[in-house]
Amino acid sequence: MPPLLRSKRLSMDMLRPLLPAREWERVQAYPVQDAGLGTDAFGTRRDLLGFAYALGYWLHRHYFRVVSAGHEHIPSHGGGVVVGNHSGVLPFDGMMLGADVFRYTEPPRLVRYMVDYFVYQMPFVGAFFRGVGQMPGTRRNFDGLIEEGHLVGIFPEGAEALGKPKERRYELLSFSQGHVELAARHGVPVLPFGLVGAEEQQTMVADLRPLAKALRLPYFPITTTFPWFGPLGLLPRPSRYFIHYGEPLQIDPDALRSMELRNREVERVRDSVAVLIAKGQATRREYRGTAQ
Amino acid sequence: MNTPGNRGRMELAGDGNEPGTLRASRRRVFIAGARRRVAVHLIERLISDPDVEVVLAVDRGACPPTLLGCDPERFVFASADLSRRRQVDNLFLLDRFRGRPFDTVLHMAFQGNPHGYNFKSHEFNVNAAQHLLEASLRHGVSKYLFLSSDAVYKLGPRNDYKVREDAELNLDPKAHPILRDTLDAEFICRAKMDDPNCEVMVVRPSGVFGGGVISGINLLFESNPPVLPVGFDPMVNPTTKERLSRDLMLAIYLHGKGVYNVAGTTMGPLSRFFEERGINPIRVPGPALKALNRMQKIMGMTRYHAGFHPKRLYYSLVLDDAKFERVFRGNAHHVLALARTSDGIE
Repeated sequence: MPPLLRSKRLSMDMLRPLLPAREWERVQAYPVQDAGLGTDAFGTRRDLLGFAYALGYWLHRHYFRVVSAGHEHIPSHGGGVVVGNHSGVLPFDGMMLGADVFRYTEPPRLVRYMVDYFVYQMPFVGAFFRGVGQMPGTRRNFDGLIEEGHLVGIFPEGAEALGKPKERRYELLSFSQGHVELAARHGVPVLPFGLVGAEEQQTMVADLRPLAKALRLPYFPITTTFPWFGPLGLLPRPSRYFIHYGEPLQIDPDALRSMELRNREVERVRDSVAVLIAKGQATRREYRGTAQ
Repeated sequence: MNTPGNRGRMELAGDGNEPGTLRASRRRVFIAGARRRVAVHLIERLISDPDVEVVLAVDRGACPPTLLGCDPERFVFASADLSRRRQVDNLFLLDRFRGRPFDTVLHMAFQGNPHGYNFKSHEFNVNAAQHLLEASLRHGVSKYLFLSSDAVYKLGPRNDYKVREDAELNLDPKAHPILRDTLDAEFICRAKMDDPNCEVMVVRPSGVFGGGVISGINLLFESNPPVLPVGFDPMVNPTTKERLSRDLMLAIYLHGKGVYNVAGTTMGPLSRFFEERGINPIRVPGPALKALNRMQKIMGMTRYHAGFHPKRLYYSLVLDDAKFERVFRGNAHHVLALARTSDGIE
């Protein structure tokens, strides 16, 4: 049988040189509750986690050169909902946030995102996302993750925010309400963050909606480099990221009963994210001033 | 009809019959679909238990060879066509059971093999479920169990990491007719779940492993070689015929009604289950899977039917059997039969 047809598995060792020894040990020590065959109930595999973190760590440190602050606000244990802005055509912002939280928390914490369904229809991509602990965005998945004390990442602007045109950079789209409702139901805090830098990694020129619909994707980007340079055109520019975490927000449990209150809580979270984005932009200006 | 006998039974099925408590007296069990491997295993276990008075095993055709040696005082095999109402009724009216009717009916006689499926199979699947349930209610059976399948759940990219009993069902009109039959049979049972005299229970097992078991996952693992779509590795938690028969025993012995998932203890990606068994599957692009499967079937390399539940090899289906665990396995210590055997509940 041709070896290519046989099942293969990505080896954690492949990217091991990208991780310092200490980080390697932290990945090894990350608790994956074995459900019987080396994965947890959500399908998280330590070897894939190491593979992804090695890549994320390298991008975090050397490519996007992430500057972050406010790690003291990240809960060291228990469930929480991590909420922020989304941008950049491809979700490198999610990857960098995940790497940042994993890198700066002790013991390391993994942000498990509620991912759009279309990802799980794609060969390899869906299996990879599940292997690194990212779940399809359903209520039951959210409940399961929170009940087991995980940090759940939600981009309440949705996948559409990734395809924002240049003139709408750092403009927050309206937030969906699910994160507030679920946080209130479970009594867990919402940890807001603002991420600056991802908007500049790609410049969206147009969105080919008919093609996106045919491919069952939320958008099909035409950027200044894609599709002109083929798949390489999807590579992001190495713009520096600035991540700021805000104070955890406790959601009023009455948000479950009052639509008005729920809207107010959603706006509170959105405002908090907007403030953190502004903070990130200010920090970036300072950085640029220092660099000049 | 509110006869004194009925009133007595109503009281029995009332507050005193808390889910998970042991049912009174010795069991008199009617098992439909006795030629299935799981059924044979279950019958062997039931016969070895002194708390079981008698087992009537029914199926079309001859008695399975392994059951031929069973004590005729406690085991009876009858051949009948369960899609015929009269024949079903006659089973309940056999001389031996007329005076002391059955207290439990387990319906496993489902034609779930997609090969050669036709209108008669559909008629059998739906009518057998209906006639058996109606006869059970008429003849005062206090527990009716239907062994369904996990194929009734809708599968797709937005599946939950663990599928509960109240998850979305596969009501796609394009689904394989066997799945629609299973749902029809389930709905027939669910329509009678409020019956005060009979505990109607639907058990949805995950894929079943075991020698000779005709289940999707078992047939896939028995293929030479198994063919999987490239780039997908769904999470599963299959059970075994031994575990399933233990779970069915618990369902027979203990009170409880409603819909329950039952699954294995181990969950993981499908590829890991192959690795565990030292099997090397072939990976092919998704669109080529059905054609290759058809070719394999023609060449006698597999009995797995990729078109039956096409999304099965793409998307995870992990059954959440916490409800069964709480009500039944959590009360397994009440069941003496399980304590007597070495392979008790984990």
